[in-house]
Amino acid sequence: MPKTALFSNTLVIAILVSFTGCMLLYIALVGPLIAALAVLVLVLGLMVTAERTGKVEPVYHAVEDHKGISLAVIILFVLALPFVLSNNYLLHVAVMGGIYSIVTLGLNFQVGSTGMVNFATAAFFGTGAYTSALLATKFGLSPWFTTVAGVVAAASLGLVFGYPALKTRGYYLSLVTIALQVIFTLMIINTSWLGGPNGIPGIPAYSLGGTSFRLPLAIFGMELPYQANYLYLVFILLGLALMAASRLHNSRTGLAWNAIEQDEIVAVTQGINLTKLKLLAFALGAAFAGLAGGLYGHYTSFIGVEDFDFSKSLVFICMVLLGGMDNAIGVVLGALLLTIVDEKLRDFADYRMLMYSVILIIILLSRPQGLLPKRIRRYQAAKSAGEAKVQL
Amino acid sequence: MSLILSQVINAVMLGCTYSLIAIGFSLFFGVMDVVVFSAGDVAIFGAFSIMALATMTGLQPVLDAILPHYVTVFLLVSLGAASTALLMLLIYRLVIKPFEGKSPLMPLLSTIAAGIALSELIGIFYPQGRNPQAFPQLLPNDVLFPGIMMSERNIIIILATILLVTVLYWFVNKTKMGLSIQAVSQNKEAAIMVGVNWQRSVTTTFLVGGLILGIGGFLVASYFNIVRFDMGSMYGLKGFSAAVVGGLGSIYGGIVGGMLIAFIEVFVSAFIPGGTAYASIAAFLTVVVFILFRPEGIIGEKTVEKV
Repeated sequence: MPKTALFSNTLVIAILVSFTGCMLLYIALVGPLIAALAVLVLVLGLMVTAERTGKVEPVYHAVEDHKGISLAVIILFVLALPFVLSNNYLLHVAVMGGIYSIVTLGLNFQVGSTGMVNFATAAFFGTGAYTSALLATKFGLSPWFTTVAGVVAAASLGLVFGYPALKTRGYYLSLVTIALQVIFTLMIINTSWLGGPNGIPGIPAYSLGGTSFRLPLAIFGMELPYQANYLYLVFILLGLALMAASRLHNSRTGLAWNAIEQDEIVAVTQGINLTKLKLLAFALGAAFAGLAGGLYGHYTSFIGVEDFDFSKSLVFICMVLLGGMDNAIGVVLGALLLTIVDEKLRDFADYRMLMYSVILIIILLSRPQGLLPKRIRRYQAAKSAGEAKVQL
Repeated sequence: MSLILSQVINAVMLGCTYSLIAIGFSLFFGVMDVVVFSAGDVAIFGAFSIMALATMTGLQPVLDAILPHYVTVFLLVSLGAASTALLMLLIYRLVIKPFEGKSPLMPLLSTIAAGIALSELIGIFYPQGRNPQAFPQLLPNDVLFPGIMMSERNIIIILATILLVTVLYWFVNKTKMGLSIQAVSQNKEAAIMVGVNWQRSVTTTFLVGGLILGIGGFLVASYFNIVRFDMGSMYGLKGFSAAVVGGLGSIYGGIVGGMLIAFIEVFVSAFIPGGTAYASIAAFLTVVVFILFRPEGIIGEKTVEKV
């Protein structure tokens, strides 16, 4: 579509979509539970209407054609958030949403792209958190270094857990991951140098150039609560993670993963190396989760085993399912929305797990493809003479 | 020597409780090719409903007055088991039937969610639901052989399991409905072609499975003397491990697997120092090893996947 004017239609659409998305999330964040649920229903309604009228792909194209502007809107929004939010707690919710989004991006490689439903995500999340926390508290190493160590540890565990994936199919794989997740939780509870049931307290915060992230951020003469430091850090990393995820999706790796999900045997006959790709999905997904875990530990300064058990894995799967399998933006959206709704439900703490299970069942029954369903990839021929755009 | 013998009896009893859940898993998997993860929570629901019948309605004293105690217990357990049978049917209608013909991952996720929802509902709505409940001593617990700590309750649990398995065996092999269920689990299309009422077989399987789970839950609660709303998930996982180890889809496999897992747990706990913590880990490691190297289980036959 030739861009003839500075303010072409698509540009307006792109800005509108990014802005509306951010505003909806903001409303869900600051409003009561009803507002968050209303946003959920609204997004669902918008998607369904768009699908009925065939407008989904054009909107996606609009945003992609003007990637820069859309990103700029979102970045501005994230930068402005700490200034606009009156409440430290809401800022905290935003940080947690970002952390969980990184996890779900990783899980998406396994569940969404490759079709391997992995119930051990909390174990990867926990490995990153525990490695980073232990190295920082027991050996006094710098949190930046320990977080990287956490990523490496989680990726290694991903390889270990991924080995059964090579030998099992379908739900036997899921069952193995459930067993491994439970073993992980039990091992942590029963090993005292890992903190045991009491967890690990006193995890140091990051510090940059001598100033700790736990101190309020002083900018432009204002003092922002310390969560702002983490918000910026987490969202920078989330942006990088999103870039990586989207690049992977559009590469041969992403295609190969999808091929494996559709039919393993046919994929092998086409020359796809199952071992390499399945292990890559597990290791990479685990690495993302491990990164998020490290961030989590240094943010909350305390980690306990109840943050890394089977129900947490189930929550992550819920987020991927709600957001949309194999759709990076969808998965992030699912994570953010579900984190917000979860926090709003804190008043009804007793009903939390009940809510998650009911949501999961409802999604499975009515819209298993999630809010933003998986998309067909869009390829363009080189922009040479003539405007041949090949849509695959 | 007597220590080993008492641990063996312990293991056999625990194995009986695991076997019943494993049999439930195998029944559902055989007939529908779906792993119903809520089996553990359904069993615990059975225990709760029996407890509710015994303690909250005025039924027990009334029945005790007119009938011998063991008949009262039998009646209460039957009522509780009937309620779990109906619950199982409800779960089938709600979260398994809608996914017929689709990817088996969806009923896996939905049954996990249903199991969690069930245990949460118990925790929320049962009075003091979140706290561990002392299970009423419905089975006599006199110690018969003091040397090896074998009480009447142990014998009853083992005998009840044997009786249940025998009845199940008769049902599955000697009645028309049971044979229909076998036919459906072997080859659904062929069974339909020879006139088997598929829907009725499936419904019956879920009812029967629910009954077995209810009784299993009662026995587990009697064995441990307490019952908690969240016992279901661990118990279900162990039962599932037992089913896989023995051979998913086979009733004998459920028994073999149940006994094996129970023996591993009890002996790790008794003879490895600090072992109680690692008993469950050992059980789950066993199932991981089996899924990796012998997914068909001890009794199952290797299935070859056709391209």
